[in-house]
Amino acid sequence: MKPTRTLLVLLAISLPTMPAYAWDLSNLNVDKLTSTLSKVKDLQTVDEPSEIQIGNGVAANLLGAAPLVKDDKLQAYVNRLGWWLAQQTERQDLPWHFGVLDSDSVNAFATPGGYVFITKGLVLRMRNEAELAGVMAHEISHVLRKHHLNAIQKSAQLGLAADAASMAVSSSDNAYLKDKAISAGSEVLARGLDKDDEFEADRMGVVIAARAGYDPYGLPSVLQTLDAMNPQDDSLALMFKTHPTPQKRLELLDGAMTGTMDKYVGQVDGKERFMKVVGEYAKK
Amino acid sequence: MKKLAMLMLLLLMPLAGQAGETAKTLLSVDLKQEPFADAATITNVPAATTVDVIKRRGGWVQVKPAGGSEGWLKMTSIKYGDAPAAKGESGWGSLLNVARSGRSGNTGVTVTTGVRGLSPEDLKNARPDTDAVKKLDSFPKGRSEAQTFASAGKLQGQQVEYIAATSITEKSGIGSFFNRGKK
Repeated sequence: MKPTRTLLVLLAISLPTMPAYAWDLSNLNVDKLTSTLSKVKDLQTVDEPSEIQIGNGVAANLLGAAPLVKDDKLQAYVNRLGWWLAQQTERQDLPWHFGVLDSDSVNAFATPGGYVFITKGLVLRMRNEAELAGVMAHEISHVLRKHHLNAIQKSAQLGLAADAASMAVSSSDNAYLKDKAISAGSEVLARGLDKDDEFEADRMGVVIAARAGYDPYGLPSVLQTLDAMNPQDDSLALMFKTHPTPQKRLELLDGAMTGTMDKYVGQVDGKERFMKVVGEYAKK
Repeated sequence: MKKLAMLMLLLLMPLAGQAGETAKTLLSVDLKQEPFADAATITNVPAATTVDVIKRRGGWVQVKPAGGSEGWLKMTSIKYGDAPAAKGESGWGSLLNVARSGRSGNTGVTVTTGVRGLSPEDLKNARPDTDAVKKLDSFPKGRSEAQTFASAGKLQGQQVEYIAATSITEKSGIGSFFNRGKK
C-alpha cells in the first residue's frame, strides 16, 4: 500500500459512519479496540513509510521552533549513541535520526518513525553517558511503541473526522491529510502523551540502556536532577506540563527496577567520554 | 574574562557528579552498611537530614549525614539541592552558571536564562524547517558506526527482558509489553 493511501486509512477509520460504541476510547485498551474494529479497519494500519513521513513532518515543525546545535562533533556523538541504543531494540531497521536542539529548555522529544531530539539544556545538566543513554532510550521507546502515532490517530478520531469524510474521495487530498496528521503530531508534542505511555517508556528505556551495556540507573539519576530543580524554572515549563512529576516517575521506576535491574548496576557510566565531548562543546 | 571563566570551569570539573552534592532525606530512613535492602542498619536518619553525597551505586547512594558516619540510602529517599537556587543542579550546566554569574558580577548585569522557542505556543506556531531535517541525514549513522562507538566505550550488548510495572503502580499497559523478548 502506498504511504499516501495509508494516510487515508488512518483518517478514514474515524468516519462518522462507525458504530457509536467504537468511539469511546477512554474505557478500552488498544487490543480490545482493535478486535472490536477488526471488521472495519485495524487501528495499526499506518505502514512504516507513512509513519516516517508523518514523523519527518513533525520533526520539521519542532526544528522550526528550536534549531539544531551547530556542533558536528556533539551531533555525531549523540547519533552514534542513538544508533547503538536502537540496535538493542525490536525496530533496529528504522532510519533513525537524532539531534541536539539549541534550546535552554530542559526536554527531549520523539516523533514517529525514529526521530529523537534532546535539548542542550538537558544535556548540559547530565553527568555521564549512561544518563544521556537513559533519556534517549526513553524517547526511542516512544517510537518503538508508536505512542505519538497512536495519539495522532486518537486526535484524528476526535477532531479530524469531518474533514476526512469530505476529503477521502479525491487523490489530490493526500497531501492535505498528511498535513493534518503532522499538525496533530505537533499538537501532541505540545500537549503530551498519556501518563501510562511515559511510565512505559521509562521502564523500557532503562532496559534498553542495560542491553547497550550501560548502568540502567542513568535515567532515574536524570529524573532526580530534574526533581531537584525549581519547578518554577521557565526551562522546565513544557517538560512539567507534558510529563508526570519526576518524583512519581522515580517512585514507579524504583519499584519496577528493584530486583530486576540490580545485576546491571556495575555497568559502564561512560563519564570520561561524555565529559570530553560535552565539555568541549560547553567550552565554546 | 571568558578564558578565565573557562579555566575556572575546568578546575571545577572533578566536582561535577553526585560527589560533592548535598541532599536532604525526604523521610525517616535506615542508613545501611551496604547498598542492599537486607544489609545491616547503622542507624536511623530522621526526615529532612542534610547529607553529603559520596557516590551512587544503582538505586542506592552512599552518603554522610552531618556529624554522622557514612552509609547507604535508597536514592529515592533523598532529594538533591537543599537551597532554592540552582544548587541541586549538576553537570556542566551548573558549572556554566557559576561561570556566568561570575561574569555578571563584574558587569552588574544579572544574567537570566532566556528560554525561547519551546513553549506549547511556539511548537504550534512553528514554521517547518525542512532544511534542518535534511541536515539530520548528514550525521553519522548505521550499524557499523554504532559498533565502533560501542567498542571505543567498552560497551557490550546483551539480552535483557523488558520489565513490568509493579502492582502498586498502574492499572493498564502491563500486558501489552510484558514478556516481550529482545526482538
